[in-house]
Amino acid sequence: MIGDDLIARILREGERRADEVEVFYARGTSVSAEIKKGILGTAEESEAWSMAIRTVRDGRIGSSSTGDPDRWKECLEAALASGRLATPQQWGGFPKPAEMAGTASSSDPDIVVAIEDAAGMVDALLAGAAEHPVEVVGGSADLARSYIAVANTNGVTYGMDRTVAAVSLEAIREQSTGYEFDASPFRADIDARSVGEEAAALAARSLGGSEVATGRYDVVLSPVAAASILGQVILPALSGRNVKAGRSFLADKVGEQVFDETLSVYDDPFAPGLGSTAWDAEGTPTRRLVFVEQGVLRRFAYDLKTGYRYGEGSTGSAVRSGGDTPGIGFHNLFIDGPRVKEPGDERAVWIHDVVGAHTANPFSGDFSVEISNPFWIEGGDLVEPIRTAMFAGNAFEMLRAIGGLGNDARHVGRLTIPSIRLNNQQIIGK
Amino acid sequence: MADVRYYDVRSVRGEVTQIDIDNGVVESAGASFFDKTVIRVLGPRGWGILTRDHVDIDDRRELDGLVAAAARLAAVTKDAISLADAPRGVLAVPPLGEDPRDVDLEEKTRLLAGIEAAARIEGVANTRARYTEGIDAVRFRDSSENEYSFEAVRSGFSVLAIASKNGVMQMGSERDHITTGFNLRDKQGLGRKAGEVAVSLLDAKLPKGGAQRAILDPELAGVFTHEAVGHASEGDLVREGASVLGGKIGEEIGCRGLVIVDDPSLHEFGFIPVDAEGVAVQRTEIIRDGILRSFLHNRETLAAVGDGIPGHARAEHGAPPIVRMSNTFIENGDASYDELLAECRDGILLIGSRGGQVDPGRGIFQFNAEYGYIVRGGETTDMVRDVSLSGEILSTLHNITLIGDDRRMSPGYCGKGGQSVPVSDGAPHLLLEGAVIGGRGE
Repeated sequence: MIGDDLIARILREGERRADEVEVFYARGTSVSAEIKKGILGTAEESEAWSMAIRTVRDGRIGSSSTGDPDRWKECLEAALASGRLATPQQWGGFPKPAEMAGTASSSDPDIVVAIEDAAGMVDALLAGAAEHPVEVVGGSADLARSYIAVANTNGVTYGMDRTVAAVSLEAIREQSTGYEFDASPFRADIDARSVGEEAAALAARSLGGSEVATGRYDVVLSPVAAASILGQVILPALSGRNVKAGRSFLADKVGEQVFDETLSVYDDPFAPGLGSTAWDAEGTPTRRLVFVEQGVLRRFAYDLKTGYRYGEGSTGSAVRSGGDTPGIGFHNLFIDGPRVKEPGDERAVWIHDVVGAHTANPFSGDFSVEISNPFWIEGGDLVEPIRTAMFAGNAFEMLRAIGGLGNDARHVGRLTIPSIRLNNQQIIGK
Repeated sequence: MADVRYYDVRSVRGEVTQIDIDNGVVESAGASFFDKTVIRVLGPRGWGILTRDHVDIDDRRELDGLVAAAARLAAVTKDAISLADAPRGVLAVPPLGEDPRDVDLEEKTRLLAGIEAAARIEGVANTRARYTEGIDAVRFRDSSENEYSFEAVRSGFSVLAIASKNGVMQMGSERDHITTGFNLRDKQGLGRKAGEVAVSLLDAKLPKGGAQRAILDPELAGVFTHEAVGHASEGDLVREGASVLGGKIGEEIGCRGLVIVDDPSLHEFGFIPVDAEGVAVQRTEIIRDGILRSFLHNRETLAAVGDGIPGHARAEHGAPPIVRMSNTFIENGDASYDELLAECRDGILLIGSRGGQVDPGRGIFQFNAEYGYIVRGGETTDMVRDVSLSGEILSTLHNITLIGDDRRMSPGYCGKGGQSVPVSDGAPHLLLEGAVIGGRGE
């Protein structure tokens, strides 16, 4: 009953009372082995089930969700009730069955969601961390497998498997901390030992840093630091909803040179990654979308609701987790460009990560954050740790002219991004 | 089951009502349902933890099966954990002024629309308001025959205004959440305030970065308390060696007269009648007269670390309990706001919060003000925007030179370990010497 039969029944029942009905369904199992004080402390296993219903009647969209299959009728009633209050809008219907533009793989048959496998990954993390004189304070290994499906009264029924393998480790030496992580749909991509080793190396090597005086410096943002700042500011500005609502700095700038001419930003749902999918969270076929091409802004991302409302059409960019209503997002977003010059060749402040990226102003792009594991970089090597400092700037302005992209692109969540050199930035010493 | 030293089961069955109004358009308004259960088993060494949807915890056979499955998980753990004894008891949940369930969705939507419309003043390009209501029915049972149930009701909203002029965009935002009833009536003033702040920030300057004297308003000083002291005093971080406050009990880490408290029993937004392990909650003085007195603990960290008070275990529905803050604050001192301004003379007044973050192992924190004013000769002058502050846990509390007498609490949500729980923090106005301001003005 929990599955296809239930979905079909809800669609039948809902169609009698609304023009259209959609069901988004997800179920999954995950295990997590958590490190406490350098050993395996807690073992967790989770089974989750969720179903979200949307109804459309006369352009009014209603929604509700439940984690309890027995409450599906209540959930359908709540969706219909919510539709009666929603402001009516232009609506051209849920998608009909369509040809997909490509294939996407986001599941690994070799992943077994078993606590023993996660415990084995913890052993590898700890073995890596043991390469350096640090204490391991935390970390985890996670394995997950889920099935998601979307179905609507226009005949769409798509389902897909997803898997995730993820590891993280946090190490400390005196007052110097280091954190590293990795996640992928594919088990073979995850090298737990090297993640543990890198986290420990960061903690060990950052010890005893020197002061830096307040002033303007060239900086190199590691992929992690770049993802933190750009994720908070640039990505929301590409959402069509923010653009049309007057919340995007990039609105009205299509066709303009907004970033350095070497920078491109694109979503590739068919590349292997955590967000790979051939159809989006509303059943619209996905496609490769180029948002910024060699620094020129080309387009924004839309889901059905925003697309219909403003006559733009969905770009297949709907995403959602569990029972949430769909929102505009990205599947596998790349920040990319030609590698002209190694960003770390000339002396600069290298920044591994930042503390407080979420306090950036997403509308103006202004931020001021504390930096983590900063080093002087020279000739591509981290030559000397810096004790502590703040970094203040504007995310839109700083991408107008960059000093190079690294050959070190990595996945940070659904983003793939290299290190970025930015010249003449404001660093505040202590 | 020989390998089960202890188990507990906690289920939360709830209903969440959300309304989202964006530029006058009702984007969504409706309810969703969840029913999550977490079963924890303490095996020969560490914890095995299961999360499931929709468990009937009165069904003995179902529960026994889940406990056995969690015990199999626990068998792979290596960390030898013991649990301290802790006082039991459940406080009465505060009476509801007006029960949100008695107000229909249509009226809630109309009231929220009124707040959102109030933010739409001259110069504002976009407004957005969101209402969030949660009704949780919580049940707990453990292998020591402890059992409780209660209902938690939360109601509140946030409103955001974005002003725009000549390509410059600035925001103002306000929020208010309570656990004591329905919270949407007569709140248009907060909508208007969000609009006014956004518009006035269009002409605000960028502050100059560097160390200077700073006055923090009660909301920002609350976030400062939470980030600078609260997290580092959490017993799990202390146990794991991830807090600079580890081993510092009895040491003077702040100025004379400084009292910092976490009190889950207060009827503020972080109120809990009992903690997520069934332990009684009580006021915990983390710092008394500048001296570190107590860590925040659950049963496990109390046994491992000592020096503190249990009853601080909290959990988001469907997640295992971890040590968390609830209502965290600095007690009032005796300085008036005017005395603070006069003593500051030349510096910066910082107001409101866009949040903060801490690396408790490194002892470094960062938090961001919504806006501020340059103080010159004891008077507030130019408005500034996008200003953040950073500091070091072990030295920053010595830099508090005056403590105001006007404490106010602000509600919010705090994230840790992937879980978000309702909290409040607060303080009176504070004067800080040598605060490191992260501005990019020249």
